[in-house]
Amino acid sequence: MKTSKTTLNKENRCEQNISIYVHIPFCEQKCNYCAFNSFCASEKVKDEYLDLLCKEIQVRKIDRKVQTIYIGGGTPSTLSCAQIEKVGKCIFENFEVMGNSEFTIEANPNSITEELLKTWQGLGVNRLSVGVQSLDDESLKKIGRLHTKMQAVEKLELASKFFDNISADLIVGLEGETSEKLCNFANQLLSCGVKHISCYLLEIYQNTKLFELIKKGKYHPLDDDKTIDNFNALADFLQEKGMWRYEISNFVFPDFESQHNLNYWKRGEYLGFGLSAHSFLDGIRSKNAETLAEYKKGKRKYEKLTKKETLEEIIMLGLRCYAGVELDKVKRLGYDITKNAFFEEYKKDGILIQKDDKIFLNPKFYHLSNTIISNLFA
Amino acid sequence: MITNFDKIAKYCGKVVKKCWQNLKENTFCLETFAVLLYNLFRRKFDRRICLKDLSLIRNFCIIAHIDHGKSTLADRLIEMTGTVSKRDMQDQILDSMDLEREKGITIKLAPTRLVYDFEGKEYILNLIDTPGHVDFTYEVSRSLAACEGALLLVDASQGVEAQTLANAYLAIDNNLEIVPVINKIDLPSARVDEVKMEIEDAVGLDAEDCPCVSAKDGTNIDQVLKAIITKIPAPVGDETKLLKALIFDSHYDNFKGAICLVRVFDGTVKAGDKILMMQTGKVFDVTEVGVFVPQTKIVDNLSAGDVGYIAASIKTIADVKVGDTVTSAENPIEKPLAGYKEVQPVVYCGIFPVDGAKYNELKDSLEKLKLNDASLHFTPEVSGALGYGFRCGFLGLLHLEIITERLEREFNLDIITTAPSVSYHVYKTDGSMVEVSNPSNLPTTVEIERIEEPIVNVHIFTPPEYVGSIMELCQDKRGIYTDMQYLDKKRVELKYTLPLGEIIYDFFDSLKSRTKGYASFDYEMAGFKPADLVRVDLLLNGEKCDALSLIVHKDKAYNRGRELCERLKKIIPRQLFEVPIQACIGNKIIARETISAMRKDVLAKCYGGDITRKRKLLEKQKEGKKRMRKIGTVEIPSEAFMSILKLDDEDK
Repeated sequence: MKTSKTTLNKENRCEQNISIYVHIPFCEQKCNYCAFNSFCASEKVKDEYLDLLCKEIQVRKIDRKVQTIYIGGGTPSTLSCAQIEKVGKCIFENFEVMGNSEFTIEANPNSITEELLKTWQGLGVNRLSVGVQSLDDESLKKIGRLHTKMQAVEKLELASKFFDNISADLIVGLEGETSEKLCNFANQLLSCGVKHISCYLLEIYQNTKLFELIKKGKYHPLDDDKTIDNFNALADFLQEKGMWRYEISNFVFPDFESQHNLNYWKRGEYLGFGLSAHSFLDGIRSKNAETLAEYKKGKRKYEKLTKKETLEEIIMLGLRCYAGVELDKVKRLGYDITKNAFFEEYKKDGILIQKDDKIFLNPKFYHLSNTIISNLFA
Repeated sequence: MITNFDKIAKYCGKVVKKCWQNLKENTFCLETFAVLLYNLFRRKFDRRICLKDLSLIRNFCIIAHIDHGKSTLADRLIEMTGTVSKRDMQDQILDSMDLEREKGITIKLAPTRLVYDFEGKEYILNLIDTPGHVDFTYEVSRSLAACEGALLLVDASQGVEAQTLANAYLAIDNNLEIVPVINKIDLPSARVDEVKMEIEDAVGLDAEDCPCVSAKDGTNIDQVLKAIITKIPAPVGDETKLLKALIFDSHYDNFKGAICLVRVFDGTVKAGDKILMMQTGKVFDVTEVGVFVPQTKIVDNLSAGDVGYIAASIKTIADVKVGDTVTSAENPIEKPLAGYKEVQPVVYCGIFPVDGAKYNELKDSLEKLKLNDASLHFTPEVSGALGYGFRCGFLGLLHLEIITERLEREFNLDIITTAPSVSYHVYKTDGSMVEVSNPSNLPTTVEIERIEEPIVNVHIFTPPEYVGSIMELCQDKRGIYTDMQYLDKKRVELKYTLPLGEIIYDFFDSLKSRTKGYASFDYEMAGFKPADLVRVDLLLNGEKCDALSLIVHKDKAYNRGRELCERLKKIIPRQLFEVPIQACIGNKIIARETISAMRKDVLAKCYGGDITRKRKLLEKQKEGKKRMRKIGTVEIPSEAFMSILKLDDEDK
């Protein structure tokens, strides 16, 4: 993937635009299913963290133009106006952010306020990603979300007064879910003005409350068959409504695709700041420390991708989204994927679709993508 | 005599040369001279002693049922005679392979020379350890043929078991003097007097004054040594006669080539001699002879009565046949020793590399194992399902298990083994006969006149309360009852004739589970018998999987087919599409199961650009696939190929 700029200037990689991710690890309450780096913290801890974060941004700044910014978490909406302003300013002071850049912030319905919305708008935020997850009060309560259906709808309507580009998350596979209920949730989201929906399958990790609840028989997630049936019904519904599935879990109205995510999927470069944030620069993937103590010391892990790993990334990311995989690009890296034992079989069975020099994963098989993609690895 | 004189002269020359050197360097003193002279005469003196008092040599072995403490007793004997210092003592010295130590069984024979002072005389006691397992019966019989006596070791609480008896009979066949020894008297469950009675009744030996020991604690080991010397006869032989020696084992040494472990009956052998292997007709130049202490120790010669080894730059172990007779190439004896037999494999299975690219590694590893194990047979084989590999022949199931485990452990290979099979004699309508050890090579039904399967005579020892259950098992395995005898109130011996093919599945496991581990069994080959056998094939998604075919009795085909389909359904993971599993005889489908299609196998979004985690998960998934084989479009885990083996476990 080349930006028009590099095509014109034939510049080296250093001139590619980058994306910036900022991690805010704080939550008001950890959700029962959550296995990510997030926790509750006092204002004092938050301020300390933001100091460290700004310091990191200063130290790691590079001379590249920024095309997208994404503030994720945890729950960035738990930060006060002053706190989020500090982060925003710090980014703009240290990086040249392009005029048309996408700037996303993640928010939970319960913490959205008019004041915050205004502050975000003032900072240049132009896209919201709202963690709705479900529109069933009982479901929400069982997975430890703090908002209700009512709140979610109200806050989305409020937010849409400030932002045109709003995305909402939905979890598929929760207890008691039916395909009708799920499509109904989606329909309500669309009527609130949501332009982008990310649909995730409930994943159960050890060391989560949900895992314990399930073990004790107090929570009953949907079985795999039902989950996939529901997901497929939802996918059909959203597509009927005019959205398109530009990645396994993401549905969008045309022109509202998340530029930040596209950059990930097209293996563009990005810098990640904050606890356990990931970066990808000059063929090196790196990861910040996962604990505050280690993060304070500035510890990071680096991983230079081998040719094999690069190939795997290209195949994995390409097949998971609409972009597909360029056969020639893979071949140039020394792997003739058409010689893979599964390639012809998958084509014959309609699992892989070839158009000219590109292969795509048939969306009908997205729910089996792990097997298919890993089989296609060298 | 002339040779000895030459040697003395040569050594004297060395002494003079050394003295001259010392004089030149002004370091000569009488003491040095005395030491050199002493060495000269001690050598001569030593040789005179070894040279020939046969009455001071005993060649013996220990025979026992598995787990009755054979290796522990051997360790104590070695320790008592000071052969190995206590410091260097590692438990169970003679079991040199890790695998042997782990399994607590001795596979490979390892002779040891013990030196023991008894009533003022120094005796050389050659201990020849033997594998107790039925798979190695022929090797045991050759080891026995190298001895004059055997210690029959019996566990004081277990009593006489199948292998106790089988091995005792072997020893009697070889005219050995048998000395019963009762072991594990330290156990609270020991019933020494009853076991003595069992030995007297079942084996017909006088056990009244036999040594009762605890090899573990070292109790009464001196009584064993005394019994060896007083009860086992000294070897008879004549060192002035022509060379006659028995090869009772062999192993491969990277530097010296194949080594013959021999018992010399007549004559003398030394480095420089030309020897003839009477069965193979091959001639070799002896490079070295020696004894085991238990490490190898070079000696000047081996002569009548001795046990030791001969190295003769023999390149392949196939030239050293256990049971062969070694004689002088220049002056051979006329008749070889009796009892030579070419060992034939009885159990076969296919061995394939999990990673097809490792075929050559597998081949090299098998060749290396073959260096040390002439009884291992293998030929290249191609399977539609498993690709390139080998059909391997073994002496029995334990042998099979040992080889496959060694391939995995010592050579670090991931292998797939197909279910074991026996070798069938297939008589064709055109009058010819083919041996079929791979079910997929069975000719078509129209070509077959009849099939004969190998039959074995089985002896089972059990407490009486399990007789009913064992009879049921034997009947189920198409056994024919031949005899039953009460050895005493607590032990019954059952005799059956069974098809070998039924035993190699899970007979031993079933027997153990039905009798809480109290029964033991042993078998010997008893020829071939016609049987109504058919081949059951497995189809996965309509495609035949040759590696899963099996030959079974017609009456059992339906059950086996159904069980196999059910089992495969459990083992084979869901695929992208629905997969029918069918069992058939010829074109007739006899059972069917369906694996429904996989539903959910997908990862959620990349949180904060964590692409590495996701890639690693997929990489791991790919890695796991290396143990899978593709039959048409169906991927099946390697364990599936062994699953046929476990069929009968399921229905218990």
